[in-house]
Amino acid sequence: MGANRTVARSRALPWPRASRSPFAWWRDHWRDARESLSFITEHLSTSLLVWLLIGIALALPAGLYLLQRNLAVADDEWQGRVGLSVYFTLDATPEQIEAGVRLARESRLVADVNSIDPATALREFESFAGLANALELLDDNPLPHSLKLSLVGFADLLDLQELAERFEGAAGVDLVVVEKHWLERLAALTTLVKRLGLLIGVLFAVGAVLVTAASVRLAIEARLDELRVQKLVGASPAFLRRPFLYFGILYGLGGALLALMVLSLALVALEGPLVRLLESYGGDLKVAGFDPSFLAGVLLLGALLGLFGALLASRSRLDAIEIV
Amino acid sequence: MGSIEFRGVSKRYGNGMDALADVSVRIPAGSMTFLTGHSGAGKSTFLRLLLQLERPSQGAIEVNGVDVARLPERALPDYRRHLGAVFQDHHLLANRTVYDNVALPLRVGGMREREAARRVRAALSRVGLLEKERTLPSALSTGEQQRVGIARAVVNRPKILLADEPTGNLDPELSRDIMALFQQFQQVGTTVIVASHDRELINALGSRIIELSRGHLLRDLAGVADLAAPNGGESHRGA
Repeated sequence: MGANRTVARSRALPWPRASRSPFAWWRDHWRDARESLSFITEHLSTSLLVWLLIGIALALPAGLYLLQRNLAVADDEWQGRVGLSVYFTLDATPEQIEAGVRLARESRLVADVNSIDPATALREFESFAGLANALELLDDNPLPHSLKLSLVGFADLLDLQELAERFEGAAGVDLVVVEKHWLERLAALTTLVKRLGLLIGVLFAVGAVLVTAASVRLAIEARLDELRVQKLVGASPAFLRRPFLYFGILYGLGGALLALMVLSLALVALEGPLVRLLESYGGDLKVAGFDPSFLAGVLLLGALLGLFGALLASRSRLDAIEIV
Repeated sequence: MGSIEFRGVSKRYGNGMDALADVSVRIPAGSMTFLTGHSGAGKSTFLRLLLQLERPSQGAIEVNGVDVARLPERALPDYRRHLGAVFQDHHLLANRTVYDNVALPLRVGGMREREAARRVRAALSRVGLLEKERTLPSALSTGEQQRVGIARAVVNRPKILLADEPTGNLDPELSRDIMALFQQFQQVGTTVIVASHDRELINALGSRIIELSRGHLLRDLAGVADLAAPNGGESHRGA
């Protein structure tokens, strides 16, 4: 009965609720953001340490993300170029070769068929290997007729395997060479880096949240007297929490900026050797992914992690403050 | 607005000590009341319960007919903005100017800057510190600091003003000045409750006196103004 009466009365309390004007709301946010920034710059050495910790925590998973993205790009490039080489027996008949060409052209996976007769193959071999003099000693051309098949971009490893099996069963075919080992390795490496990035990302995100939470907790302790008085004069939990949320966001943003600086330096150091490595495998790839959306994503992630850490610290500590 | 009623209120702490035991009193709106008693009598607990800094172990505390002891936690900030509180050690923010300290309750309430400035200056003028608005509290005397605390307590125009040993650190002359300020607020309709152990000062003012001893209501003496009322002089004793 008593509880019902209290609930009924609490709907129309005899003291007015705070009616904040929108202008006051913006003014208070602006003031809290400014004061938080000022607090952070006044305690610059501590803030730098926090930024460094968050920056390292963000740089490693962000770097792995970039690596994974570049491997995926390389994978796509090689997927597009990969092909099959079909070698016929030396005594294969023109009909058997023609049947092989037809089989290739009928396949939806084959983008282009290049039929290389033994004489052409011999000329290419001589020009590549520089063995012209040695080959002149041979009475007969030892090279067979072959087909070079270029596959469409969407063909994957399973498609490639299936196509190879069809050629292996065809008459007059001696050998089918699928250039897939690199693809398999690259795909496995991409998956590994992706999962490693995810795992490290989660672990380091937790680390960044905890670092922010600990720093915000220290900031709360430093302003305990002020918070007590604010609570005494009727500050709402949101009002008390707000400056510390700005702390968290600023710590997170600063950490993210540092992470991007570390990554930029790492890319400057690694880009040259990496591009040369890719070129040695026939690629003309450039480092991908360090673009405005990536930069914005890292900054946003840093701010969100900082905000979450600040929420975590302020929720538990501010509720427990004894006013006087 | 501003009426208070304690009905059978007890506060027992974890160590089994009763800070208040079954206290029942009614304080009409617009009155001035002194809480007195020795240290540990329960004066501060009375005020803390009224401010809802603590919840009672038992009983009801009605303010304007609402049992504030049963208010949910989220309703307390709005309730506290309805009260003003002054403490012996002022609780001023050392790194903020006098103006900012006094403006704090208005900031918390989200008041517009222009209106807030008008109210802060009016409150500072009332306590005679308008010319010190840009000063830091550390540059003020103890009496001035207390007056800043009073200005902060009244800037929101509360209907109830609570003071816990507000003259504890002041000499007799300053104490009388502070009490005169409280009387001024009472005269404009504010319910004023002052906890003090300074019997001489209290007796001189002729207001109602509630005396507590070890958490129990010992005496409830009507003030001069109350005695003049048709049913004045009634004493209440805890059941």
